[in-house]
Amino acid sequence: LETFSLLAGGFAGALSPQNLLFALVGSVLGTLVGVLPGIGPTSGIAILLPLTAFLPPTPAIIMLAAIYYGAMYGGSTTAILVNIPGEVASVVTTLDGYQMARQGRAGQALAIAAISSFVAGTVSLVGLTFFAPPLADVALAIGPPEYTGLVILALAVVVSLCGRSLRKGLASALLGALIAMVGLDPQSGRRRFTFGVPQLIGGVDFISVIIGLYAIAEVMTNVHTAVTKVSAVPLGRLFPTLRDLGACVGTMVRCTLVGFGLGLLPGCTPGAISFLSYDIERRVSRAGSKFGTGAIQGVAGPEGANNAATSGGFVPLLALGIPSTPALAVLLSGLMIYGLQPGPLLMEQQPAFVWAVIASMYVGNVMLLILNLPLVGLWARLVMVPYPVLGPLILVFSVLGAFSVRNSTFDVWVALAFGLLGYVMRVLDFSATPLVLTLILTPILENSLRQSLSMSAGDVRIFLERPVALGLASLGVVLTAVSLYARRRPGAGATGAPRQEGS
Amino acid sequence: MGTLRKRGRVWLAVSGAVGLALVLFAGPGAAPAAAPTYPARPVDMVVAFAPGGGADVTARLVATYLSKKWGQPINVVNRPGGGGILGTHEVLAARPDGYTLMMDNHAVNAMLAASQTDLPFKWDERTPIARVTFDPVFYCVKFDAPWQSLKEVVAHIKANPKTLRWGTAHAGGISTFAITQFFAAAGVDLAQTNRVIFPGGAPTLTALAGGHVDFAGQQWSEVRGLVAGKKIRALAVVLPQRVKEFPDVPTAREAGFPELDVVGWQGVTGPPGLPAEVVERWDEAIRGAAADPAFLEQAAKIGKVIAYLGPQDFRKFMFAEYDKYLPLAIKMGLRK
Repeated sequence: LETFSLLAGGFAGALSPQNLLFALVGSVLGTLVGVLPGIGPTSGIAILLPLTAFLPPTPAIIMLAAIYYGAMYGGSTTAILVNIPGEVASVVTTLDGYQMARQGRAGQALAIAAISSFVAGTVSLVGLTFFAPPLADVALAIGPPEYTGLVILALAVVVSLCGRSLRKGLASALLGALIAMVGLDPQSGRRRFTFGVPQLIGGVDFISVIIGLYAIAEVMTNVHTAVTKVSAVPLGRLFPTLRDLGACVGTMVRCTLVGFGLGLLPGCTPGAISFLSYDIERRVSRAGSKFGTGAIQGVAGPEGANNAATSGGFVPLLALGIPSTPALAVLLSGLMIYGLQPGPLLMEQQPAFVWAVIASMYVGNVMLLILNLPLVGLWARLVMVPYPVLGPLILVFSVLGAFSVRNSTFDVWVALAFGLLGYVMRVLDFSATPLVLTLILTPILENSLRQSLSMSAGDVRIFLERPVALGLASLGVVLTAVSLYARRRPGAGATGAPRQEGS
Repeated sequence: MGTLRKRGRVWLAVSGAVGLALVLFAGPGAAPAAAPTYPARPVDMVVAFAPGGGADVTARLVATYLSKKWGQPINVVNRPGGGGILGTHEVLAARPDGYTLMMDNHAVNAMLAASQTDLPFKWDERTPIARVTFDPVFYCVKFDAPWQSLKEVVAHIKANPKTLRWGTAHAGGISTFAITQFFAAAGVDLAQTNRVIFPGGAPTLTALAGGHVDFAGQQWSEVRGLVAGKKIRALAVVLPQRVKEFPDVPTAREAGFPELDVVGWQGVTGPPGLPAEVVERWDEAIRGAAADPAFLEQAAKIGKVIAYLGPQDFRKFMFAEYDKYLPLAIKMGLRK
């Protein structure tokens, strides 16, 4: 009950005209940052950080937080409309979202993304509101062996994402793992696969890879096939039917649980979580067999999950002072500039501030829903824009985005190189999704596996002694086996694919 | 930024005579005579790490303070990658006109030079301007750990070889140096402990608070929240005097290890051959800030101790750091 009065106090703070204004500004900026490929919440928050010198702490942090969760709303927009994820966490949304757009259902896809984001984001906030400190202790109990198990579980998704040919999909996944290895060995600090190029010491930037594989390769493919518009069919109804919404209820419940639960863990990024949610839906939901061909659950799941994950990420941030993503690390430095010492005492010592920020997140999510639904009609028309106009614009934003991540021209070249690679992969029918997944997961796996073995002085029995780790890893192995079996079953010809994938 | 401008030049030159002429014009135009009017335009202060880290926070503190004072924006530019090598490389290759400087720190300065022999730049050619802050190391254990002092940790390791797990941020990070130095002083063989490497201070301390490692040595700005919140406990701080925020935490000397002196710091440096006017202007401004109560208060809020040193002393300090870290880097098998 004490929580209710604290939250009420928080709303009183969050609903003051000034704080409302900054929540709105943050939501709009966040949506924008999410829509633009490359410019992510990390750069968005960092660019606005100097403003903190002129603002009191509460409105400033309310705004920066709104940029963070607002970006998750915006990230799906270009993923659905033009097959270009605006955020890492929206990569998997392209699989079904873009197919929906090509079938004239762009509006429905955008709407369900916004609705699912709102539901999952808001329900997760309730978890943050009432259970943050105990949940933070749960997050602490998850150590390197458990993360190792979790990644093995997540790797089971690779088989599902392989597209028509298992071998081609696995090749793509291996390439992703290899690219993730470039740079400094995280354990020894030694350089590897840098070939004497100083810029490669920093590794291959993730965003550049995505911009290349998706945005640039997409434009090249569309030029190649002389596409005049994204959607060949006229735009259909803008909003999902009640039946569609009903079909997504189970999806929203599951993605909220998965997104919030994993979002609590500082080692799990929303990017990895959205992939997991997609795979769960593919296996569990009734429309599972239609995944990859424009299933509405394939959009609702990952988009809800990444929003639930952002709410979950505020648990370790507010209850422990531990940032789970680079964007939250910047937010944390914003707190420090104000002398609001992040840590377990923050909620105790600064209740007015903490609760105003939490309350503002409820408000911000409502704003984002109200903001995004009317925009659906406008955005959806983007698919009717002649491609000779749209394509060059996409290229401009791609180059800008690649540069902006690290202020580096080298990254622009990397994006162009991956554009070429992505184009070749499309021509040869290799799916890029497994590559992105292993690119996300490999660093987590490598670090947690080697950390676990360091903890036990090289004894692999550490994985047997930790039941959670063992359980997760075993589940991963079982699911991989199930997926492999399922691929073999339909038709005796082993190369026949159970499902199609967005080109 | 320097390399950008340079790469821009290459492009222009390729595009022909017009481009060449442009470069010739742009050359003198882009580098206005510094002295009395410096800074005449915005200054880039490069941080070789992502936003939110120790150097970044100090950079933003200094940038905000001096932007107001000078009426010229000081822009903090994050150039992360390769453990700070990329950003440092870029600054050291930049035009020495005073418009590209960096918020240097322990990690990309002497520590890097002591552990890597094949850096793409000469570390000692940079122009030191002023050291600004210290971010001291705290040796910590989990809050409910049985050990009450550094001596008890040492006794535990000696009695139970190969069981103590210590966490550290990056293979060649400050915590690795700090703990290696501590073990050397205590007569503990590194091989009798389990080193677990994490990709940063936050994950290291998360693992400590969760009991996945037993011991860590991270910086003040990183540990303070979890120490105050009783998730971890500090056994000693490496600083000549105790930190006001934690009056109960003894100094390393008081804890029986007077030889410990690994320290995190931040300071302003620039490319080789920076004009004396620029160095003087910055040094004067930072010296002024270090005596300004408002600046001191801000620094304490972000977990930093003011540790001003002028250009000459800062240079001496850098080389003393190198001499200190070289044997440690060799001991850790880090140097190559």
